[in-house]
Amino acid sequence: MINPILIIAIALGTAFSLGLLKKLGRELSFAITLIALAAMAFISAQWLSAFLTYNMLGPVVTTAGGRAPFVIVLQMGHMEALFTLLINVMGVMGAFYLHDRLTENGNGAMAVLLAGIMGLNGIILTGDIFNLFVFLEIASIATAGLVLLVTDFKSLTAGFKYMLASGLISGLFLLGIIFLYNTTGTLNIRELLIAVPGTIKAGSVASFLVMMAILLEMKPFPANGWGIDLYSGAPAGVSALIASASATAAYFVLIKLLPLGGTVAYKIAAAVGITTFVASNLVALSQRSATKLLGYSSIGQMGLVVGIYGLNYHLGSKAFLIIFSLLGTHYLAKAGLFWLSGIVQSTEIDKWSALRKSPVLFVLFGIFVFALMGFPPFPSFFGKWELIMGLVASKLYWWAGAILLGTMFEGIYLFRWFSRALKLDNQELAKPRSTIYTFVPPLVFAILLFPAGYYTSTYTGGIGIMGFAPLLFIMLIGFLDFLPAYIKNILSIAGVAAYSWYLWPHVQGNTFKIVFAGIFMGGALLALFAGFYRRGKHLGFYPTTLLMFLGLGILVDASNLMELFYGWELMTIGSYFLLIRGERSLPHGYSYLLFSLGGSLAMMFGFGLAHASAGTIELSALNHIHVLPALAYSLMLVGFMTKTASLGFHIWLPGAHGEAVADIHFMASAVLLKAGVFGIILVLSGMGNSEPYARNILLVLGWIGALTALIGNIGAAFQESAKYLLAWSSIGQLGYIVFGLATMTHLGWLAAYGYTITHFLYKGILFLIIGGIAFRVGTADMYKMGGLIKRMPFSFLAVLISIITLAGIPPLVGFTGKWIFYNMIVSEHMFYQGLVVIISGIVAFLYLFRLIHVIFLGQLKDKNRRVKEVYPWLLIPAYAMLIGVMVLSMFPNTLLGPLGRMLSTAFPKGALHWDGYTASTAYGTFNMPIIMAVIGSTFAVVFLWLLLANRRAVKVKQFNIFYSGEAPSRPELTHFGYNFFAHYKKAVGFMAVPLVTRFWDQVSEGLHALAGYGRAIYTGNAQSYLFHIVGFVVAIYLITMGGLS
Amino acid sequence: MTHIALAGGALLILIGVWGMLTKKNIIRIIIGFSLFDTGLHVVLVGLGHLKNRTAPIIDSDLPREAAASRVVDPVPQAIVLTAIVIGLAVTAVLLAFALKLYQSRKTLDISELREGNND
Repeated sequence: MINPILIIAIALGTAFSLGLLKKLGRELSFAITLIALAAMAFISAQWLSAFLTYNMLGPVVTTAGGRAPFVIVLQMGHMEALFTLLINVMGVMGAFYLHDRLTENGNGAMAVLLAGIMGLNGIILTGDIFNLFVFLEIASIATAGLVLLVTDFKSLTAGFKYMLASGLISGLFLLGIIFLYNTTGTLNIRELLIAVPGTIKAGSVASFLVMMAILLEMKPFPANGWGIDLYSGAPAGVSALIASASATAAYFVLIKLLPLGGTVAYKIAAAVGITTFVASNLVALSQRSATKLLGYSSIGQMGLVVGIYGLNYHLGSKAFLIIFSLLGTHYLAKAGLFWLSGIVQSTEIDKWSALRKSPVLFVLFGIFVFALMGFPPFPSFFGKWELIMGLVASKLYWWAGAILLGTMFEGIYLFRWFSRALKLDNQELAKPRSTIYTFVPPLVFAILLFPAGYYTSTYTGGIGIMGFAPLLFIMLIGFLDFLPAYIKNILSIAGVAAYSWYLWPHVQGNTFKIVFAGIFMGGALLALFAGFYRRGKHLGFYPTTLLMFLGLGILVDASNLMELFYGWELMTIGSYFLLIRGERSLPHGYSYLLFSLGGSLAMMFGFGLAHASAGTIELSALNHIHVLPALAYSLMLVGFMTKTASLGFHIWLPGAHGEAVADIHFMASAVLLKAGVFGIILVLSGMGNSEPYARNILLVLGWIGALTALIGNIGAAFQESAKYLLAWSSIGQLGYIVFGLATMTHLGWLAAYGYTITHFLYKGILFLIIGGIAFRVGTADMYKMGGLIKRMPFSFLAVLISIITLAGIPPLVGFTGKWIFYNMIVSEHMFYQGLVVIISGIVAFLYLFRLIHVIFLGQLKDKNRRVKEVYPWLLIPAYAMLIGVMVLSMFPNTLLGPLGRMLSTAFPKGALHWDGYTASTAYGTFNMPIIMAVIGSTFAVVFLWLLLANRRAVKVKQFNIFYSGEAPSRPELTHFGYNFFAHYKKAVGFMAVPLVTRFWDQVSEGLHALAGYGRAIYTGNAQSYLFHIVGFVVAIYLITMGGLS
Repeated sequence: MTHIALAGGALLILIGVWGMLTKKNIIRIIIGFSLFDTGLHVVLVGLGHLKNRTAPIIDSDLPREAAASRVVDPVPQAIVLTAIVIGLAVTAVLLAFALKLYQSRKTLDISELREGNND
C-alpha cells in the first residue's frame, strides 16, 4: 500500500518543481501536471479497492516524528479513499479540460491547480482541525487564483467577492477552533469528538462557530450570493472543479465535523440544507443564464445532501447510499454541464440550441440533465427513491414534501433549458467548437454515470438485470444512428420481438398483464412496422422509441414498486423525446415532461406511504394502505392520471399528440396513454371500495372521468386539424375508461377493459391513416382536404369502420362497450354521471361525422388531384387492427369472456351472463351476431334501393359549377368544413375555453414572481453578500438559542 | 493582561467586520479584513496565555524539565504564526484582485463592481 501522505507530497513537490522548471516547455509541464494528478488518483484508487476487498481499518499517518495529538495526523479510511479519489479524478479531468488555459498561462497556473487539488486532499485526509483550516485556506486561495485564469471583469468581481466571503468565513472557523482548543485542550479531530460532548456547555460557542463555518462553506441560502457569482463568473473549467471537487471536499468537512455540534447541529443542517435546496431551485426559475442556472442547481444539490446528512439518523443504514448516489450524480453531471457550458461559449440558455450541431455533445447534455433530475438508470434515481421511502417511513412527511417540491422546481428550469436547446432554431448560431481536451472529460463523466447507476442499483436491490441489459441494446441502436432508418427499424423490431419473447412467460396466465403486455408490445411491433414508410435516417427516433417501449415492458413485468417506477420513468424519458419531435411541439413536449415529473413525484410520495404501511415494496404494498391512506391513494392516482390526461392534467395532450406524425401519434395515443390506465387499475385494485375515504376518492374520480369525457369530446368537435381532433378525442375516450374504473363494479371494469383494448385498435387505425393522409396532403387541417375518397378508398374504408366503432353504433364492437356502460349506469343508479357520459357520446358523433365528411366527401381540392393512397406500410398495420375490430365485433365473447372471468374474482356481483353468443344482465340481453345480421341486411336493403332510385341521376363533374367572380380574402371562411360546428360553438363553446390552461399559466406566473422576489436578495454587491453571511450566523444563533437546544 | 488582549482582539474583530460591511472603497475593505484578521490573531494568543509564565522557548534559562510548568501553551503560538502567514496570503490575493479590478474599471468603489446579476 502506498503511503497516503504521498498524495500531498506529490502535489506539493510537482507544484514547486514546476515553478523552478519554467524553461521546460509548457506542453511538457502540462504532461507532468497530469501525471502527478493521475498518480494521486491512483493512490486513492488502490486504497479504495483495498478497502472494498478487505474488511480493514485504514492507517493513521503521523508527521514530524511525534504522535497524535501533538503532531498532525493523516487518516486514510474507506470514506477518505473514496472522497480523495473523487477529487483526484476530477483533478485529472479538470486539468485536462483546462489544457488551453493552463498552457497559455504557464507553469504558475499549473502549480496553482496542483496546490488547490492538494489542499482539497488535505482537507479530507487531515485529522487535525487547525490543519484543516490551513488546507481550506490553501484551497480557497488556489481557487481564487484559478478564477484569474481569465481576467475579464466578470471573473475578477466573482473572485474578489469569493475571497472576501471566504476570508470572513475562515475567520469564524479560526475563532471557533481556538475556542475549541481552549475548552478541550486538543486539536485532534478524533479527540475533539470524544471530548466535546462532555464539555458541551463551555464549548457551545466554539462548536457553534465551527459549525457555522462549515455550513457557510456549503453556500447555504440566503448567504450564498458570492457562491452563485463565483459559479457564473469563473471560467467554465474552474466552475466545474469548484462544483465537483471543492464542493465534495467541503461536504466531507461537514461529515467530519458536524458531530461536534451535537444533535442541534444535525437539526440545523437539515433545516438549512433543505431550505437551500428548495429556495435555490425556486429562485433559479426566473434565470435565463446557463451558468447561473448551474450555480443555483449546484448550490441546491449540495443543500440537499447537507440536509440529508442532517436527517441521516432517520434514514438508517441507507443514509450513506442515498448521499453517495446523489453526491456522485451531482459530481459527474454538474462537472459535465459546466464543461459543456465552456464549449457552448454562451451563457444564454436559448443559445444552447447551437449544441445540436454537435450531436454527441448534445446527447451528453441530455444524459447530464436527466441524471441530475433523478431519472433512471442513473444513480440519483435510486438515491431519490430510497430517500423518499426512508423519510416517509420515518413520518418526515414535510421534509419529503419539501424535497419533492424543490425537485419539481429544478425540473422546471433544467427541462426548460434542455427543451429549448432541443427545439429552438439554430440556423444562425455557430457550431460549438470542442477540442480533444474539452471533449474527453464530459464524455468520460457521461459514460461513468451508467455503471455508477448499475452499481448503485446493486445496493438497493429491486431492479433486476432485465432493467439494464436491454439498455445496452438501445445504446447499440443509438451508436448505429448513422444507418438508414429501415435497417434500424428491422433491428428495433427484432429487439421488441426478443423482449416480448422474454416477457411472455412472465405474464402468462395473468389476464390483466396479458391485456397490457399485448397493447404495449403489440403496439410497439405495429408502430415500428408502420415506421418503414420513412425515408432517410430519422435521427434519434429509434433509441427513444425503444426506451419508451422498454419502460412499458418493465411496467408490466414489475414485481415491486421500485421496478414499476423505474419502468414508468424510462417510459417518460422515451415518450418525451417522441412527443417533442413535432414541428411546433416545444411547449407541448415541455409541459408533458413537467406534468409527468410532477405526477411521478406525487406517485413516489404515495409509494413511500405504501412502503411505510406494508414495510415492503412488493406490489402487494398497494393493498389496504393504513398510513394516511386517502393521501397515498390520491397521490398515486394523480400521478397516473397525468398520463391518462384526465381533466386538470390534460392540457399537454392536444398539442403534444396533435403535432406528432402518424406512427408517433399512434404510439403516444393508442399505446402510451394505456400506461396510466394500467397504473390506475393497480391502485384501485389495492384500494378497494369498502373504506369511507375510498368511496370519496372514487366519487371524485368518477366525476373526473365523466367530465373528462365531456370536455375531451367537446374539444374535439371544435378542432380544425384532424390530428388535434383525434388528440382531444383520446382525452374523452380515456375519460370513459377512468369513469368505468371509478365505478368499482364488474360491468364498469369490463367496459373499461373493453375500451382500453378497442380504443387501442380503432384509435390506432385512425392515427395511422389520418397521419398518413396528413403526410400525403401536407396538412392536417380538414378544410384543406375533401373528396379524398376517390384518391384513398382503402383509407376511407378503414376510417369509416373505426369511427363507427368509436361512436359506439351497432353493429361494431364499440356498441358492446356502450351497452355494458348503460347497463351499469342503470344498475348502479349513477344517473348524473351517466347523463354526462351519454351527452359526451352524442358529441362524439358530431366530431366523427365531421372527420369523415370533411376529409373524404365533398370536393377534391385541385392540388390533391394526384395525391396517392396512404403508404402501404401504414395501411397494413391499420388493416391488421381492422381485422381485430371485426373479429371482436362478431364474437365479443372471445374478449369479454376471459375478462369477465378475471373480474369475477374481484367483483363477483353483476357479471354478464353468457349463453352462447348471448350476453344478458338484469336489464336485457345482447347477441352481437344477430345484431350484426339485422343491421347488415337493413343496410344492404337501403343501399340497393338507393342504387335503384339513383339510376337516372345525372353525374356532375367536379368543376361543372361557376364562381360569382369574387376571390374571398380568407378562402377557408367559404369552406363548409371550416368552423363546422359554429352554431354549437356559440352554445357550448365556453366549455372548451381553456380554463385549465389558464389555471396552470397562473401557477407558473406566480412561481416566477416568487422567484423574482427571492432573487432580489442577490444584488451582486459584495458587501450585501458579506452582510448575508453575518446575518445568517446571527439568525441561526438566535434560533438555536431560542428553542432547538 | 489576558482580558485586555481578549477585549482588544474582540474590538479589532468588530472594527474589521464593520469596515468590511460599510466602507465603499475596496482598499478600505481590505484593510477592514486585515483588522479582522489581526483581531483574530490577538484573541488566539490571548487565549493561550497562562498567568506568570514565560515564552515557550527552551534555552539555557529554561531547562527542558521545567518547561511544562513554566511556559505558556505553545500550540496557540504555533497556530497564530501559521494564521498570520495565511492572512498575509489572503490579503495579498485580495490586493491583487483590487489592482486588476482598478485596471479594468478605473474605480475602487465596490458598488460599481457588480456585473450581470439581473440577467
